[in-house]
Amino acid sequence: MAITQILIAAAAAFFWGTVMRERGRAWFLLAASVVVIFWLQPALPMRGFDFWIPVATLIITIFSWYITANEEARRAGKNRFVIAVVAGIVLLLNLTRYFPVTQILTASRPPQIEIYFAILLVSGLAFLILTRLAKFNAALLSISVIALILIFLAIKIPALTYWVSYGLRVLVGQSLTEVKALDFRWLGFSYLAFRIIHTMRDRQMGRLPAIDLGEYITFVIFFPAFTAGPIDRIERFIQDLRRPLIAPGNDDLLIAGQRFLVGLFKKFVVADALALIALNDTNALQVNAAGWAWILLYAYTLQIYFDFSGYTDIALGTSRLLGIHLPENFSSPYLKPNLTQFWNNWHMTLTQWFRAYFFNPVTRWLRALRVWKRPLPMPIMILLTQIATMLLIGFWHGVTWNFAFWGLWHGLGLFIHNRWNDLTRLRAAAWAVTPLRQTILNVSGALLTFHFVALGWVFFALSSPMTSWQVILKLFGVR
Amino acid sequence: MTENITPALAKFIAEKILKQANKVIKPDEALISSGLIDSFSLMDLALFVEDTFHVRIEDTELNAQSFDNLNQLSELIAFRR
Repeated sequence: MAITQILIAAAAAFFWGTVMRERGRAWFLLAASVVVIFWLQPALPMRGFDFWIPVATLIITIFSWYITANEEARRAGKNRFVIAVVAGIVLLLNLTRYFPVTQILTASRPPQIEIYFAILLVSGLAFLILTRLAKFNAALLSISVIALILIFLAIKIPALTYWVSYGLRVLVGQSLTEVKALDFRWLGFSYLAFRIIHTMRDRQMGRLPAIDLGEYITFVIFFPAFTAGPIDRIERFIQDLRRPLIAPGNDDLLIAGQRFLVGLFKKFVVADALALIALNDTNALQVNAAGWAWILLYAYTLQIYFDFSGYTDIALGTSRLLGIHLPENFSSPYLKPNLTQFWNNWHMTLTQWFRAYFFNPVTRWLRALRVWKRPLPMPIMILLTQIATMLLIGFWHGVTWNFAFWGLWHGLGLFIHNRWNDLTRLRAAAWAVTPLRQTILNVSGALLTFHFVALGWVFFALSSPMTSWQVILKLFGVR
Repeated sequence: MTENITPALAKFIAEKILKQANKVIKPDEALISSGLIDSFSLMDLALFVEDTFHVRIEDTELNAQSFDNLNQLSELIAFRR
């Protein structure tokens, strides 16, 4: 998100939160979120697709709501009105193709209206057929989760993304000489897929509360959190959405404003300045001295924190103006005394998601598993679950070798910390009897953890395993 | 309702998870957010609660937002029994 987009979104939130307050707030949140997903989608070289991608986001979201909603929520008359409003906003955006001025709300000139009507017609018909034919049961939800994961893979595996770009170029009849994997970018998909999968899994477990279509769409594409999280939980989100927004007190405005300004400073001053010297594919090859390599790596380590937590502060500040208290995503992760604590405080909403929908179910399953009538040894279970979870968290960022190494690094690190802790916990507790000794343990633990995490970022910052390995050798003075 | 739940939980956590039988866990002491119980031991605790009190704790509930100390966990159990 560019700073002008952030300022405009925040100004709109400030206006609604302080002047309009509860009047039409839910509609404002819905409409603003719909507009923002078109506004933020980057331009794509395939004609019309920077418009069709947000349309696809909306269709997926509406379909997901339908299969997760209960009978009563589905029948509510308000839903048709919500669909009409959403379709109407998209139509208005599409009509801007006739404006003689340059495009403001879409990345390029929106495509022909006829295609939009055709898409509405086809998706409407598909929807009708589906509601008549398919049974809304757990199997359909599982199929939908798998479908979302497949789209996710098509976006995150560079080789597949290349073929998606190729296919789309064929579809619109464009030249095939310039196809690149980077041609296809679906802004916000990783976040929206995880929000939707959470609602589908909760529905399967019978834990999803009744939610109307407008609330569901607002939750999935909520504009302050659309591009960089946090990943909220729907039952928490709708509580805030349904609670009337009374006039925000001065304290509330002060906290929201402060949070927003701190976020802007972290992202656009600190992180963007650090980015000038942060480790990247180009400077990784230019630097030879170990000292300089460490400076690049420290700069990257701090940059990624200030960038990401800055965006989170901006999202939390903006949404608080509108009465939505999004969950925290970072809590001083680099000051934590061990790797387990680091992961409890870094991108917390993502790690909580993986704990709830992957780590805990797998751990539960492994605990019940019997191999030759014996339970698996505890260390084996810990090793398997930690590595599998961290590999998946790596792949969430992109399915490449480097993200796999990064995930492996952290999975092994968590396992080693777990075993080390098991071995030394009693001795450490017996030794750290004075505050000074406890501080010595904490500080040395934090320094070690910080450097472990920093070394992991080498794989995250760079795109090839070879360059990453060369940088690691340089860091330790081996060339 | 929670008076016999809390001591049983405290005993299990001290003996089986922390392996310090003499350790006193205060009813309002943070368990998860403080890092005292890691995510793996949290599953041990959930299985213990399910076996002992016959109350199901969902995978999505094993976090500091659902319960972070003995009081909160006891209340959750008492509420579901």
